[in-house]
This record gives sequence, C-alpha cells and structure tokens, in this order.
Amino acid sequence: MEKLLKFFIETGKLKDMPRRGWVLRNIKNPESIADHTFRVALLGWILGKKNGLKVEKVIKMALIHDLCEVYAGDTTPYDSILPKSKKAIEKLMRTWPRFSKKEKKRLAEKKFKKEKKALDKLAKNLPDELSREVKNLWMDYEGGLTREGRFFKQADRLENFLQALEYWKKYKKSPQKPWWDQARELFDDPVILEFVSMMDKEFHRKKKPNS
Amino acid sequence: MDRRIYYITKEKLRELKKEYEELLDFERRKTIGEEAPKIFESEDINPEFISFREDIDFLRSRIDELKNILENYELIKNPPKEKRGVVDIGAKVKIDIDGQKDEFMIVGTLEANPALGKISNESPVGRALLGRRVGERIVVSSPIHTIYKIKSIKYEIG
Repeated sequence: MEKLLKFFIETGKLKDMPRRGWVLRNIKNPESIADHTFRVALLGWILGKKNGLKVEKVIKMALIHDLCEVYAGDTTPYDSILPKSKKAIEKLMRTWPRFSKKEKKRLAEKKFKKEKKALDKLAKNLPDELSREVKNLWMDYEGGLTREGRFFKQADRLENFLQALEYWKKYKKSPQKPWWDQARELFDDPVILEFVSMMDKEFHRKKKPNS
Repeated sequence: MDRRIYYITKEKLRELKKEYEELLDFERRKTIGEEAPKIFESEDINPEFISFREDIDFLRSRIDELKNILENYELIKNPPKEKRGVVDIGAKVKIDIDGQKDEFMIVGTLEANPALGKISNESPVGRALLGRRVGERIVVSSPIHTIYKIKSIKYEIG
C-alpha cells in the first residue's frame, strides 16, 4: 500500500504540470498534462467505439500515455532548436519544425529512452502485473503495435489540436499553421479525419485563420 | 477484426513473420508450462520489449493482429522504370514545404511514423502526393495555405 500511495502522489503531480507547448506560446493559465489526459480519455473512448476498437484498452492507454512525464517532463518537437530570444521563439512557433532524416531518428530515440526510463521508475511502485500492463500499453502506443495503439497515437494529437483551436478562439493570437501542417501528415484514421473536418467547420464559421 | 489491405515493405513483412512465429512458439510453450525464451526482455524500441510473460490477453491480441496482417497484406515493390518519376507507395520524396526542406517516405498505415518521416498513403499529404511528379506544386489551402513542391523522387525498396 505504501508504494501504491507513492504512485498516486507522483502521478498527481501531472495536475500541476503545464503542457510545455502552451508555455512556449505564452498561453495564460495553460492546461496541465492531467487536463489533456482527461479529455483524450473521453475522445479515445467515444471515437474508439465509433471505430470498433477495444475501448477499455484505449481508455487505459489514454490514462497512462503521459505518466512518464512525471519524471521525463513534457517535451515538444521545438525543444532541440529553441532560440534564446522571445521574438525568435515566437517566430519559430509559427511553423512546424522540419529535421533531416538522421536528426528525426536521433530525436525519436532520445525521447523514447528518456521516457521509458521514467516510466520504469514510476511503474516500480505498482504490483508486477499492473506494472507490466502499464508498460505494455505504453509500448503499444509508442510503437503502434495494435489497432488501438495506432488509433490512440492519432487521438492524442487530435486532443492537442482541438485545444490549439480553442486557444486560438480565446486569445486570437496562437497561429494555426503548425497544427494543420502536422495534421495533414499525421492523421489517416477516417474517423479522426472526419472529426478534423468538423473542427474546421465549427471553429471557422465566423473567422478564417490567416496564419 | 479489420479486413483492410495492409501495404508493407518486404523488410517489414520479414519482421512481422518472425515475430508471429516467435509469439506462437511462446504461446505454445506457455500452455505446456515451458520457460519462455529470453528475447522478450530486450530493451530496444521494438515489440520484443513487451513483457508477454504474464499478459496473456496482450499476447493474444498481438498474435491476432499479426495473423490479420499476414492474411491481408500487399507487398510494396519498386514500380517499373518508366513509372519511377511518379510518386507511389514506397517512394522517397524530397520536398519543399513553404521554403522548408523535408523528406518523406510514403508507406502504408502500418509503417507510418511521421516523426521519422514515414507518411501514410491514406493521410491528406500522402494522398495529395500520390501520382505527382518532380517539379509539381501542390497547394493546400483549406483552411491554411501551404505549398508542397516535389524536388526529387526515389525508389529504394530492397
């Protein structure tokens, strides 16, 4: 029980950890990692059901997919090329970052190793069977080993995209271009693509984005 | 179970067949109470990291997934020489996106990993590039304007 209590205290820290992408964009009172987890679990459940997936697995995957960030912290694709000045950061955040093939591989491996180590550390507080389940679900999400894993990887980005549009509507300054450029390369699930079209209609009824 | 066609490279097929055979063997050994092979304790970013030792549900779902893929795949091959100037599945495409350089390989959904430049043929960019040639410009403007210019197309499937 002592270890379980530690597990819940540690995971509770995600409620106070702001998502780094919003911090870099100077969003006031940005959502926390736990806030994102809450809605992506709902998205995964409901859109996953529409897709005929095993929803219990998708929901569990949603609940654990960012647990590693308790120790590994939240990372963004911009971190390795972040300039010093505020103005340069703002300019960088208007585009989706591009890397060479070699750099993409290096960054992906570095992130994977760091997060896996963090998840191992956190999962040590769980009984063996649960620890294995958490790690297996995370590997499925990372490696797209099953339909649920491949779908959830996209659902995770979808929730982030939806939040970006909400901030755009609220603050009128957050550029949309990086999200659309990323979405066009990342999403291929028909249910998710349909949802993205719906988001486009809903958020751009009155005003079209210009960047 | 999903009955779609999975487009995969020969390399991926080899990998999946090997994994399928190993998992079936692992499951059989487990049923008769034999010790499982050690390969499942690997630390790499691959399915072998998965600790199937106790998680039988997961083992079964991965076996079913692999079986489904192996029954419904189509191999990605290099197109004939006269068609290599056109983007098809398996093409490596150097591209200019609003002035930024990038390189994509167009793959099936199973191998898609945009973080590594592997773009699904069913994604909007994948679909827009298919059938296009070097020098062509693809303009996507809804809701944000982006121009994709194809700089080169290569096929290097082993």
